[in-house]
This record gives sequence, structure tokens and C-alpha cells, in this order.
Amino acid sequence: MSDCQSLGDCEDSRISRIYEYLDGALSCDDLAEIKEHLDTCPECAQEHDLECVIRSAVKRTCKEAAPDNLKATILERIHNIKAADVPAG
Amino acid sequence: METLLATRPPAVGTWPVTVDWSLMNTTEHADSLATGDSAGPQTGKGNGTSAPDPDPKSSPEAVVDVSTESAEERRVRFERDAMQYVDQLYSAAMRMARNPSDAEDLVQEAYTKAFSAFHQYRPGTNLKAWLYRILTNTYINLYRKRQREPLQSNSDQVEDWQLARSESHTSSGLRSAETEALDHLPDSDVKDALQSIPEEFRLAVYFADVEGYAYKEISDVMNTPIGTVMSRLHRGRKMMRELLADYAKERGFGGPAASSNDPAVETATLAGAGTGSKNQESKK
Repeated sequence: MSDCQSLGDCEDSRISRIYEYLDGALSCDDLAEIKEHLDTCPECAQEHDLECVIRSAVKRTCKEAAPDNLKATILERIHNIKAADVPAG
Repeated sequence: METLLATRPPAVGTWPVTVDWSLMNTTEHADSLATGDSAGPQTGKGNGTSAPDPDPKSSPEAVVDVSTESAEERRVRFERDAMQYVDQLYSAAMRMARNPSDAEDLVQEAYTKAFSAFHQYRPGTNLKAWLYRILTNTYINLYRKRQREPLQSNSDQVEDWQLARSESHTSSGLRSAETEALDHLPDSDVKDALQSIPEEFRLAVYFADVEGYAYKEISDVMNTPIGTVMSRLHRGRKMMRELLADYAKERGFGGPAASSNDPAVETATLAGAGTGSKNQESKK
């Protein structure tokens, strides 16, 4: 069903363009061109939306708080490093 | 419904292994980790949809004169500036070690190395990215010592096969319902999917999506050429998309097994009836 060819002549290159668009990896001209296309092409807009959903899901679920004691353990280890081990400026 | 890894084809011995984690092994010593160039200022995101977080501590850092700083002053500065990223490093370490205990060890080790090399960190550059780079190197070195074998040497087969599958899957016409379905997946599915893809892809996706890093920054943190980063990201994203679509189907989202009370699913099923029937039949 995704037979739009405006962003590339195959599914793979089409999605790659959308990835680049979302990654902020395009020139201003390309960016404007793709934005305009997304405004008018429901198929590509759906690809764009799907990708946004996945990215925000990854961002949401992979932010984890470190265990409570980890920071204290690190500080303790750092304090145990002798001053002599750390080169002076 | 099959899942990605359950149906992985047998390894093809002649396939070239392109995973270049070996590059990172050359930077075991903190000296080479510590160049400020490895973690330069963040480049802007063109469309503003995922701009990286500004480093809130970058201003006070910039005025430090490292050459006259005492060891104690440096320790204070390290604790003030670097310790705020423990959660972020732990999250990244969880993507590497994949279990809380090893992730903790990894973060501890990385922080210890970072502290010892902190005189080489250039104030005003991206401290978090500098720490990430040390973390990544620490992981590689610890892993190498334990396993003495290349990481994920079968990833090429996975990705190659996966891409081929991607082609047919994305033509199902279920996209809109798929978006809807993926949006309702539990967090555990998203985590599982990310943990399932080969780790060099996983970390690229992690740094891009969670930290909002641009290709160049990921390239610095992972010590990999930008072209490789782009390729890993694109492949990793496609694998994520496939896995999550599978999970959604297994849960009955977006396929015929889904509740017909969901209008989005119903519409999509009708819309996809012409081309997507083979996918839909496989789930019962």
C-alpha cells in the first residue's frame, strides 16, 4: 500500500529519508521539502508517526534510575583513590 | 507469531563481520579517552523535534583553570559536575550489561576511570558524552577480558535477514493501526525489543533516542565512523519496528485477534484485507 515514491524509489530509501528527517540530519532545503511532503502524503505521514511513537517509547522506557546506593558507592571508591594517584594539574 | 530471534537463520561462516568494536579496544587507557574533542559541543537538531538537553553545568565548568587546580579542588569539581549523570550512565549500562548487577559494576568502574582521567577532560566540552565514551570503552574492555571473543558476531546475519523481511512487512497497509498498536505496548515490550537487537545497533538507538544525540555525537561516544553510526541506527530502527510489530500482534493489537471494539484496529483490518492477509492469518 505504501507506493509513494516521492522520498525514494523503494520502501527502504523512503523510510531512510524519514529517519534522517527525524534525526535532524538533513539540510534546510531537504528538511523543508520533506516537511512539505509529509503535510500532503498520508502514507509517509503515517511512517513518520510510527517512527515518532517508537522513538518516544524507547526514550520513555529506557530512562532508569540507578539503585540508591550506587552514587554513594562511587563516591566512596573515588575517595579511596589516593591523591597521589591523581596527577596534579 | 514468530519472533525475530526465534527464527534466526543459521550463521553463515563466510559472511564478513563488520562489527568494528575492535576500534574501541585501542582506547583502554584513560589518556586516549580524555581528549575534549571526543565530546564536542552538541550540534543542533535541524527540525527541533528532539534537541539534546543542554548541559546545565557547562557554564561553571568553563571558567575552571585546570592547570592550577589542586587534587582536592578537582575532586570537588568532579563530584559537582560528573556525579549528576549517574542515572543516565546506569541506564546506558543496562543496555550494555543487561542486568542490574553488572550494570552497577560497569558504572562504578567507568566513574573510577573518569575520576582518574578527569585532569584530561577539557572543561566546557560535553562532560556527559565524555563519560559515556569512558563507559562504552570500559564495557568493551571488561567484556573482552571476560569473553575473549568478538561481540555479536552474528549480527550481520540477523540484520540482513531482517531487512529482507522488512520489505514485505511494511507494505501491509496496516501502518496507521500499527502506530496505534505500538503506542499501547507495555514498557516491558519496548525494553525487551531493544535488548533483543544486536548491541552495536542497540547502543546507537539508545544514544539517539534517549539522549537525543546527533550522528556525530554517537560517532564520538562509540568511537565509530559516522557512516557506520548511520547504518547501525537505520538497521536498528528497522529491527525495532519489526519486533514491536510482532509483539503487538502477539498481544492481539492490530490484527484479527484484536478486540473488534477498537475502531482503529477494525478499520485497519479492512484496509489491509487486500495485501496483508498473509500476515493476519498467521496469528490465531
